Amino acid sequence: MRLFILFIFFSFGAASAQSGKSEQLEEILLKGNFAGSVNPGYSIQTISDSLLNSDYQSLGELLEKQSNLYFKQNGYGMVSSISLRGTTASQTGVFWNGIAINSALNGQTDFNTIQGNSFNAIEIRRGGGSVLLGNGAVGGAVNLSDRIPYGEDDAFRFFLGAGSYETYKGQFSGLVSSDNFTVKLGLGGMRSENDYPYLGTELKNENGQFENYNANVSLGYQLDDHNQILFHSILFQNDRNLSRTLTARGNERLENLDTRLMAEWKYLADRFTSSLKFAFLHEDFTYFFNQDQPENRSEGSSDRFIGKYDITYFIRDEILIKGGLELENANGAGSSLEDAERTDFTAYGLFQHRPVERFTYNLSLRAGTSTAYSIPVIFSVDGRFDLSSSFALKAAYSSNYRLPTFNDLFWEPGGNPDLEPETSRSGELGLQFQKEMHTISLTGFLINSQDLIQWQPGAGGIWSPVNINEANNYGIELSVQGGKRFNEHLLRWNLAYDFTRAVDEELDTQLIYVPEHRANGIFQYGWRTWTLQYQVQYTGEVFTTTSNSQSLDDYALSNLELVKSFFDRRMILSVKVNNLFDQAYQSVAFRPMPNRNGHLNLTYKF
Amino acid sequence: MKSIKLVLFLLTPLFLLSCSDDNDPVQESKGDYEFGYFITNEGPFQNGSGTLTFVGDDGNLQQEVYKTVNGENLGNIVNSMFIEGDRAYIVVNNSSLIVVVDRYTMEKLAVIQGDEIKNPRHFVVAEGRGFVSNWGDPFDPSDDFIAVVDLDANEVRATIPVGEGPERMLATSEGLMVALQGGFNFNNQVVLIDPATNQVIRTIEVGDVPNSLQADVAGNVWVLCAGKPSYADVETSGALYKIQLSDFSSTSKDFELVTDHPGLLNFDAGQLFYHMNGQIYRMSPGASELPEEGITGLEGFYYSMTVANGELYGTDAGDFASEGIIKVFNVNSGALLNTIEAGIVPGQVVFP
Repeated sequence: MRLFILFIFFSFGAASAQSGKSEQLEEILLKGNFAGSVNPGYSIQTISDSLLNSDYQSLGELLEKQSNLYFKQNGYGMVSSISLRGTTASQTGVFWNGIAINSALNGQTDFNTIQGNSFNAIEIRRGGGSVLLGNGAVGGAVNLSDRIPYGEDDAFRFFLGAGSYETYKGQFSGLVSSDNFTVKLGLGGMRSENDYPYLGTELKNENGQFENYNANVSLGYQLDDHNQILFHSILFQNDRNLSRTLTARGNERLENLDTRLMAEWKYLADRFTSSLKFAFLHEDFTYFFNQDQPENRSEGSSDRFIGKYDITYFIRDEILIKGGLELENANGAGSSLEDAERTDFTAYGLFQHRPVERFTYNLSLRAGTSTAYSIPVIFSVDGRFDLSSSFALKAAYSSNYRLPTFNDLFWEPGGNPDLEPETSRSGELGLQFQKEMHTISLTGFLINSQDLIQWQPGAGGIWSPVNINEANNYGIELSVQGGKRFNEHLLRWNLAYDFTRAVDEELDTQLIYVPEHRANGIFQYGWRTWTLQYQVQYTGEVFTTTSNSQSLDDYALSNLELVKSFFDRRMILSVKVNNLFDQAYQSVAFRPMPNRNGHLNLTYKF
Repeated sequence: MKSIKLVLFLLTPLFLLSCSDDNDPVQESKGDYEFGYFITNEGPFQNGSGTLTFVGDDGNLQQEVYKTVNGENLGNIVNSMFIEGDRAYIVVNNSSLIVVVDRYTMEKLAVIQGDEIKNPRHFVVAEGRGFVSNWGDPFDPSDDFIAVVDLDANEVRATIPVGEGPERMLATSEGLMVALQGGFNFNNQVVLIDPATNQVIRTIEVGDVPNSLQADVAGNVWVLCAGKPSYADVETSGALYKIQLSDFSSTSKDFELVTDHPGLLNFDAGQLFYHMNGQIYRMSPGASELPEEGITGLEGFYYSMTVANGELYGTDAGDFASEGIIKVFNVNSGALLNTIEAGIVPGQVVFP
């Protein structure tokens, strides 16, 4: 361990200004460990801001459409959790500019408490990534990225939208920059009565109202050619009533407030780059069982202080080394948490070698120590082999971990301070084809997870978590993207299909809420200033009991959108119909989702 | 589902025809669910419906009987069921309703709901009227009550405020006894209600967290108190209280360890039974001491248990996210007689 740290600092000292791999270094500086060049064996999808800005929607909706990811949602707008490659929400890492933001309390990210549109890019990295990224990136990881350009024209954008169920949304974003100083601002809000009817019943989505606000501020200051200082912040407040179910009314309410601050110093030389980050993350929730009696509530919060230092250095043109240190102190408090604190320290190193032009491989390792549990040593090997200019073969093998959460460790009653991290091993093999507008990617994966944490009833009826389960996930991911342009007509398509098995080793059954089949198709037709988009999304049957005795029906959803731009694309008007065929469906059992609904959106840029 | 209803519909005229043509004096069946017992299954906690399992005397096992007959879900968290005469009253906790069915056919007759049924727990009949223990808002310690139901109209006629967490009830010669278990908190009282006046006429202090009560044949009511659990401010040991109905005097036996939290008191064939720390204990009402050893062969953690006719029915909810089972033992020999599949989180075994 100590040798390893010495090695990293030695490398820092050895950094010298030589000519070389600046393009690659700039990508690494921008995307950190989500950069494609440091993940040769993995597939990374980037959702660009042109897609992010086109509608005001939750991050979950965005990823469902653009990346064929599966979410289970407790009714529209309610708690939404991801399952990537059949893993749980706490086994999918969510990052903000490279800093892990999954809740310290339950390890998950509620994708309805993140507004996706205010970011410049979202990177989705499928596959085990704990070595490079840290805790939780077992099935994969999602990174929310802010980009700070300098010396660009000032740009402002207004977005206004209105739709069914008295839904209103608005957002303002602005970017002002000089040659060395940039301010980026995003302010938005959304509210909805969300009282859609439950198709096939006389009920409607009572008590489903929500409203949320976000403020994102970023600053960038370029000191000189090599150094810049950045500051990022997000404030997100979400006040939701929690919807009834088919069998029970409710009067619950959940209020969330997330505050995230980060300062970063980036250094770029010819063969070397480094990034030093300090972040403060605060999460806060208040749950009211009966909102008419607000004195009876349950609360929880956590504060996290994170320091992170990453370096990248080209020893030679074909050899790159990367390393990093991460220190995190977290403490939690709440109605059912007492003295919840942990300090984790981890370090990683990566060696990348390109022995021949068409072959690149990585060897990487992470180790660490914590006050709350032991952190396993994990490693990863991945590589890419270019079969031709358009065909590439990718392969990866890694070990990964997911650390116990504050709720797992310290919940009163039942928390188990003796828990150990969940561990997993995963392997994947992929084939990628890329030519002009066409991309085809086919990946097969395997994940074996052990010591999975599960809450079980113990003596006296008190539930307690234990490291007990084992699961085997495997599957295939296929995506096809392409387009065709003729004269003023543009046709684009984006098709994806995922086959996912996630099998409980002991029961030999599929894990609950993991669809075996999931498919998504986006078809876009553009002509001059008009665009018509049809999106169809298929979610296969999901089991709702661990014995697989009960399930939710599969469903296909269609959405149609017509977009017209005016004034040289400064103004964009869009009309959108979701659930075009009025399909009754449930994402979580007994919690119906919306019927056919419409939205009108206006964007104005200047 | 539709097809089952269709088949039933098509069969009905045939059945009626065959009955009318039949001159044999064979006793007419009152319904498919006449001979056997029921298991109430709470169902998954947050979203879903509880169910009823029927175990016929002929060995016939049927799941989801209410849904099969009525084509609809019972509701969220089926907590208990009470059979009185030819009716059964199914208490659906989180949906805040009481479903009244014909106990032989399981056909829905009425639903009791409204502001006066809120977080209902149990149902009993005393003096010809129904009584429902209600938590109200579980976070509000002061809104708990007993609802009094007119069994002809299936409507709530009165509510009786009581202390926090009314749970099990027992109709006795002196009135209705209600154990105030405490709901989300901890209580330590049993109240006596006069069913004629709907008044609480007596409050009896017992140990912490009275979770079950039984009458013996000698005019005593036994109240088993779990004691406060480890996560309470101060953990307390369980206690077994005996209340003499003649003068309401009480005596008690404390359990030895502060970590002893007994529950699931039953009375069968002159003996008391309860569950503690994975053991089933048997005690004669006349015994001077609590039993020291559990019954060999009956070890296990049960979500609930019913002792009837010399047999113990222990419910095992498994991982609470899939169907559970009922294990049936001979209570004397400890021999496992049968294992019966139930629904999700089987809670109560209910004999007519």
